[in-house]
Amino acid sequence: MSTFTSGPLVLGIETSCDETAVGIVRGRTLLANVISSSVNEHARFGGVVPEIASRAHLEAMQSVIARALDEAKVSLNDLDAIGVTAGPGLIGALLVGTSAASGLALGLNKPLFGVNHLSSHLAVDALTDTREIKPAIGLLVSGGHSSIIELRDVAREVHVLGATIDDAAGEAFDKIARILDLDFPGGPAIDRLAKSGNPAAIDFPRGLAESDYNFSFSGLKTAVSRYLQKSPQVHRGDLAASFQEAVVDVLLTKALAACKETGIDRLIIAGGVAANSRLREVAAERCAVMKIELRTPPIALCTDNGAMVAAMTSLVVSAGVKPSAIGLEAMSTVPLSQPTWA
Amino acid sequence: MTTILAIDTATDRTTVGIVKDGIVISEKYHDDPLAHGEILPQLVAHVLATENKIDAVAVGMGPGPFTGLRVGIAFAQSFATARQIPWHGVDSLRALAWMRSEPEFVVAIDARRREFFVQLYRAGELLTPTRIVQREELTEFAVPVISGHPSALAIASLVGSESEVREPIYIRKPDAYPAPKDVKFRPWLATDLVPIYGLEKACYPDDPWSLAQFKEEFAGKSRLYLVAESQGEVVGYAGVMVLGDVTDILTLTVAPEFRRRGIARELLKRMIDWSRNQKVEAVMLEMRKGNVEAQPLYLASGFRKISERADYYGAGVDAIVMRKELKA
Ligand SMILES: [Zn+2]
Repeated sequence: MSTFTSGPLVLGIETSCDETAVGIVRGRTLLANVISSSVNEHARFGGVVPEIASRAHLEAMQSVIARALDEAKVSLNDLDAIGVTAGPGLIGALLVGTSAASGLALGLNKPLFGVNHLSSHLAVDALTDTREIKPAIGLLVSGGHSSIIELRDVAREVHVLGATIDDAAGEAFDKIARILDLDFPGGPAIDRLAKSGNPAAIDFPRGLAESDYNFSFSGLKTAVSRYLQKSPQVHRGDLAASFQEAVVDVLLTKALAACKETGIDRLIIAGGVAANSRLREVAAERCAVMKIELRTPPIALCTDNGAMVAAMTSLVVSAGVKPSAIGLEAMSTVPLSQPTWA
Repeated sequence: MTTILAIDTATDRTTVGIVKDGIVISEKYHDDPLAHGEILPQLVAHVLATENKIDAVAVGMGPGPFTGLRVGIAFAQSFATARQIPWHGVDSLRALAWMRSEPEFVVAIDARRREFFVQLYRAGELLTPTRIVQREELTEFAVPVISGHPSALAIASLVGSESEVREPIYIRKPDAYPAPKDVKFRPWLATDLVPIYGLEKACYPDDPWSLAQFKEEFAGKSRLYLVAESQGEVVGYAGVMVLGDVTDILTLTVAPEFRRRGIARELLKRMIDWSRNQKVEAVMLEMRKGNVEAQPLYLASGFRKISERADYYGAGVDAIVMRKELKA
């Protein structure tokens, strides 16, 4: 555990997709991280159903808050601030979170901070590093996003260098998993299957390789399904491993090019896809060669969670940013360049 | 002395008030069907400026459009958690009824998509459980239909009554399902007739089509029959035929354990698409009047009720006739 025990005591609420999550941090020390997921209810539909997610958030919210307070051994009155994901995400799901957070803030008479879900994925790194926060390149890869970000100050100043122009990396995993008849969510399923295959077996196209920091995964998706049609007898582990290798390669090639161009020698990989074991492995190898410091939050902090919202809020409070207005607006789409809400 | 913070978000209106021993000391509301989330905290902050010492929270639990409803409930529960005070959920329709004194009336809350949640009262007694009716049906009640907004006083006054609830009153099931996974749709084959007949008997035990009827249909022309198949088993079927310048959906059936997965929606979509290719003016269908479960699907797909046929499904079982125009 870190020795960074000073700083604001913050409770963060996350409900942007299918996880009802509450985290509590003091400064940059993680005190609690409780998650209730409705993922199993969505599995039979092969994707998240917004209305089911929203219902589940309301059902779980109070008990998740109570469990987090229990785990952190703090009481609501001890809190310095409440943080909540105000976007981007499913609007009905976000509203359960912002409404619950507003109820807490007004009930306790504590300040409320609406924060960006995407920034929070990167801010969670602050919980596992006790040194001064330095500029970094962020590779944010999840079911909804694949972006390369220049992070000067995650609480105030982020600059998006590139993003996916079609499918997010996580979406590509889900779609390929469906083609291969694997379970939803597809990321972990492909990761497992790929372990039985040879990543160099099939040379899939990388897509938009050199030109800029934008990604495109739809061509790769088509290539994989065509390959399967043409060669239905292919070793499925080989196919999964080769697909995964192509995704990992393109993500890291671009992220490391961004490090080189900006002169920033730190790379943070965050978001749900950061849990992918091959991405972690190859990132470690390549960063070592290039003498770049690699930061990958523990897997439990990579997928959607409340600790990341609490961490982001804590950094925002420490940076002296003003609280959000009473009745802050939840927004389904919001750029990464907006870290907090007015 | 009890001071209650009362909240309702079951209608387009966001209502907030503070009720002290049955007397409203502050009340605020705002009409906007899409802004409950932003408005509610502002109104609460406003009334708290009058009285900040709250003993309990009362909140309307619906029925009402889901997104707004959850804003009120999530806020109320968290506020109560923060203050360490109890919260009470009350039926928003009952709160509407509490405000009235007519001998007999219907209270209605807009459920969107041309539907309303209703309750019928006589002499202050609730006569029917909450149900959903179409907008057109509202005019068919022989008593006044009241659709307003529950007041803070009405919400607070139901605290402690037998109508308190702990769960949101949704009535409607979540139906925003994506296309079903692992289900194949294909035209029927002769080998499907027996499994289809089995499913028919299970779904309509009172008046199933006979196997002979299905065989006749199978031999018939100007028809499309599709089956939904999951892991080699027939889990649904539907049929449509051309009748002059319209098509008629003859049947649409999904096995109970496969419902609410979008299978009926997909079958219906394919029936409509096929009808379009027949260059007809409209798609028609008949359904049992009491079949409230299926109505939202047809309404959402653009069908409108055009008439009723008495005793269509046997004595006492009326049919609703619905029509979807295909020409713009
Ligand atoms: Zn996320």
